[in-house]
Amino acid sequence: MRLTGLMMGAAFAACAAVPALAQDADRDLRIVVAEEVDLLEPCMATQSTIGAVLLQNISETLTYLDVRGESELTPKLAESWTQNDDGSWRFNLRQGVTFSDGSAFDAADVKHSFDRMMSDQIVCEAKRYFGGMEVQATVVDDHTIDFTADPAQPIMPLLLSLMAIVPSETPIEFTREPVGTGPYVLSDWTPGQQIVLSARDDYWGDAPAVTSATWLFRSDPAVRAAMIQTGEADIAPSIAVLDATNPETDFSYLDSETIYILLDDAVAPTNDVRVRQAMNMAIDREAFIGTLLPQDALLATSLFPPSTLGWNPDVAVTPYDPEGAIALLEDARADGVAVDTQMTLLARTANFPNIVEVMEALQQMLQEVGLTVDLRFLEVAEYQRIFKKPFPTEMGSVLFTAMHDNSKGDPSFTMFFKYASEGPQSGTDDPKVDQLIEDASAATDDDRARLWSELQAYLHDELYADVPLFHTVGYARVAPQIDWRPTIATTSMLPLGEIGFK
Amino acid sequence: MTHDPDIIPAEPGTLTRFRRMLMADKFALAAVIFLTIVVLMAILGPMLLDASAQRQNLRGRNAPPFDLDQGWLMILGADALGRPLLSRIVVAAQNTIMVAAGAVVFSALTGTLLGLLAGYSGPRTSQVILRMADVIMSFPSLLLAVIVLYVLGPSVVNLIIVLAITRIPVYLRTTRAEVLEIRERMFVQAAQVMGASRWRIAMRHILPVVFPTLMTIATLDFAFVMLAESALSFLGIGIQPPDITWGLMISQGRQYLTTAWWLSFWPGLAIILTTLSLNLLSNWLRIALDPTQRWRLEMKGRRS
Amino acid sequence: MSSFIRKRAFASLISLIGLVVIVFFLSRLTGDPTDLFLPIEAPEEMRQQFRELNGLNDPLLVQFWNYLGDIVRLDFGVSLRRAQPAIDVVLPAFLWTLQLAAITMALVTGAAIVVGSLAAFRVGGIFDRIASLTSLIGASAPDFWVAIVAIVVFAVGLGWLPTSGTGTVWHWILPVGVLFIRPFGLIVQVVRGSMISALSSGYVKTARAKGVKSRAIIFVHALRNAMLPVITVIGDQAAALLNGAVIVETIFGFPGVGKLMIDSVLQRDFNVVLATIMITALAIFIMNLLIDLTYALLDPRIRY
Repeated sequence: MRLTGLMMGAAFAACAAVPALAQDADRDLRIVVAEEVDLLEPCMATQSTIGAVLLQNISETLTYLDVRGESELTPKLAESWTQNDDGSWRFNLRQGVTFSDGSAFDAADVKHSFDRMMSDQIVCEAKRYFGGMEVQATVVDDHTIDFTADPAQPIMPLLLSLMAIVPSETPIEFTREPVGTGPYVLSDWTPGQQIVLSARDDYWGDAPAVTSATWLFRSDPAVRAAMIQTGEADIAPSIAVLDATNPETDFSYLDSETIYILLDDAVAPTNDVRVRQAMNMAIDREAFIGTLLPQDALLATSLFPPSTLGWNPDVAVTPYDPEGAIALLEDARADGVAVDTQMTLLARTANFPNIVEVMEALQQMLQEVGLTVDLRFLEVAEYQRIFKKPFPTEMGSVLFTAMHDNSKGDPSFTMFFKYASEGPQSGTDDPKVDQLIEDASAATDDDRARLWSELQAYLHDELYADVPLFHTVGYARVAPQIDWRPTIATTSMLPLGEIGFK
Repeated sequence: MTHDPDIIPAEPGTLTRFRRMLMADKFALAAVIFLTIVVLMAILGPMLLDASAQRQNLRGRNAPPFDLDQGWLMILGADALGRPLLSRIVVAAQNTIMVAAGAVVFSALTGTLLGLLAGYSGPRTSQVILRMADVIMSFPSLLLAVIVLYVLGPSVVNLIIVLAITRIPVYLRTTRAEVLEIRERMFVQAAQVMGASRWRIAMRHILPVVFPTLMTIATLDFAFVMLAESALSFLGIGIQPPDITWGLMISQGRQYLTTAWWLSFWPGLAIILTTLSLNLLSNWLRIALDPTQRWRLEMKGRRS
Repeated sequence: MSSFIRKRAFASLISLIGLVVIVFFLSRLTGDPTDLFLPIEAPEEMRQQFRELNGLNDPLLVQFWNYLGDIVRLDFGVSLRRAQPAIDVVLPAFLWTLQLAAITMALVTGAAIVVGSLAAFRVGGIFDRIASLTSLIGASAPDFWVAIVAIVVFAVGLGWLPTSGTGTVWHWILPVGVLFIRPFGLIVQVVRGSMISALSSGYVKTARAKGVKSRAIIFVHALRNAMLPVITVIGDQAAALLNGAVIVETIFGFPGVGKLMIDSVLQRDFNVVLATIMITALAIFIMNLLIDLTYALLDPRIRY
């Protein structure tokens, strides 16, 4: 008892010095997010929790996908870029830029950043975007660098918006002290409690309005929402739709995630196109909107959101038609398709809000047209283990309910993985699809958009390759004195430079 | 509740006496009635109400309680899929009671036996048992749950195993602590001198003294286990839908706490009332079974 | 006494080693961290590279041998997630939880002993009824209910306290308050039960017969004898707090070891899991040792 008494005394004494609930100076910003940031490694910045703190704040990229404007690629550390005749890309770098450690930014830093990211000494998440190609970075002069890819990459400038630039002195091991060219430096990191960024004086661009930003971590959405109300935080990028009741402070945004059910066309009964079509028709997508899913969620016809290049507005959502579905299944059954095969609807626990209810409703809708569907929830590690080819066979035909994130503006980040016959999470094996993916990946501009549109229509209206369900939305709560609105990129980055004060 | 024949003197009219003592304690009486209802729900519930507990109605989602327009099943309101909460609570009683009773009985029995052994055997056996208890005590239940459920899959039986193992040490340590003290008491020493076997002493003289404390812990553990099961469901490693338990209902209703309180309130209330009843009953039993205390109830019984 | 402690330390060391072995192998049954560290779209080469760099491709026994070699040099390995030594992650979190648990248990112990003994003094009286009912309801209420309602009322509604986090003494009030409720309910019941038995047992009667008139003396005498199970249960509850006040830590954003443990179990960050378990186990072993010493202190007949 003595000991605890002493400890309590010490705790009180230590705490008493800090004033309770004090509002900091008005240029300080507090952001409360759900997941604790474990690592602040620039080459891991494609992971959304890490990117939200690092990208465009501490670390910058050569190019930047501006989703606030026309959703186009804008210059950042590269001032301009052109495609050379051989298909490689030349980037002209910004001059007069320094890293927060004082060193000057030049082409060698870009090359080091790339080589470090691709190194086999560390596992960088951003590397996965450069899979399936050979890329070479060649320094032309201090302020010019070439990227040569085989096969040629029309979207190389877009890919490079995913690579955070680090100084060439950065060792090839994970760092916890990130250095970048961005407007902020990491000034305090107390694991489990907070991360503080402070503005630096020698930033090359416009000085941001926010002088320091503190990230706080609270897993419970109700607590995050409450913290804005009590003034303990200024921005909560993600709160629960149920708590988003105040139109003055709560804003919805498309969060670039799409919910869909993967169908494996290699096993019965989903190998029959009529069964796949019937499953699409069996689901009353409208019934979920405004009930189990937020009012602002969109019905999906593709796994990428409408702001993506080549998204096809002419593809219509498969209408809800249980009778039609039953008729199609009858038809298939008459042709000897094993329609009554046991199927298992698989979902990842806590993958998205209300998942339990959504899955139970989906199961019931599929059962109502006469399919035999079990429902199983898997813990995340197990789900991740089996959600790639070859798909498991011991549960009958498996229907993976999954979420896919593509905020990058191009369908290539989706199509190969999800539809190519070689794609790791693809249930589709169709020569026309493979051909279209290959053609579209090599095409540029309008051609590219046209090919992607064609592929989307083919997958959705002819193959019924999977069951696209919803583009989900997130809700952010923003304190009244803060001038900022969430965007489709908010889950993956939160550039403090965009935030102002009223 | 088992009535140990060693504790209750088998004299005529025991049943009548107990009934009278029960009538004397209105709280205990209410507890018995409530527990009977719960047991009936657990046995009959799934048979009677399973269909209505599964019927979804997205238009009637989160329907508020005390509205009889939708039929009496809706009196407690509806869940996020428009299913009547009353039916769901009744149906969920079976799994809930099975998990809780299974885990509590298993851990209490194992823990008590090991505790008797540890308190009443040589230093070496006792050391081994106690250090094992230390290991279990410091083995986080959550990790155990993940391991068992990952390797063996989530099911009622596996859940019982996980929850039971983590609760063994408290019974073990409590029993042993009491044994240490009791075995020094006069009557035990006397029995020893008279040549009673160790086992007989443990069963006849020590267990009855430890029993009331263990029962208090066990009844409260009911709540603990139900809520632990809720926490596991929330983390995705407990009972999975479409199976239901009160704990799962609570964890599903959690996000609606500020907008539709009834989703997690009713199952929570069911847990509270069950625990409360068990405890009131065990408090009553403790007095009713204790010859030196029984007068409190008998006096009142006679007066009323 | 000192030889007892020495023997005990040795036995505990063996338990600790046993614990490490069990956790090391069992935790690796729960899946491959690669699947969690890398996104689902990551190509197989990257997965292989990750396994290779982190030694996950080595045979399990080799991995274990390497781990033991490091442990002997007090190197607890590196966190997969955080790229920093596991011990640097665990130690600060453990100290936070230790403070939280110590403060809570100190308050609980004091309050529960007072309330429980007073309730036992007049069994069935008004105070007894109220104390029992409220403490039981508290003990069986889901803690996230209590936590969220407390935040809504005291932080958002009244604005008296911060919602969550750390920093000032005010930040401690809600988490400690919520954590207080369950062990308080349990321990009040155990104190009450034990006291009832003690007050009616032979030696208290003997003391009375011998002419000890002072109620206070009788009370203290009974309390001393009633303390054995109480202390055991206090130990059990303290261990539960050390091992994971998960829900409270999660809701209040408290940087403790319970939250860390659950995160690292779910992320399969094995080195952090092992380091966490070793440190909490050490604390629990020490606590159990202190409890055993307290038995001897309370009851001079108990010797080791």
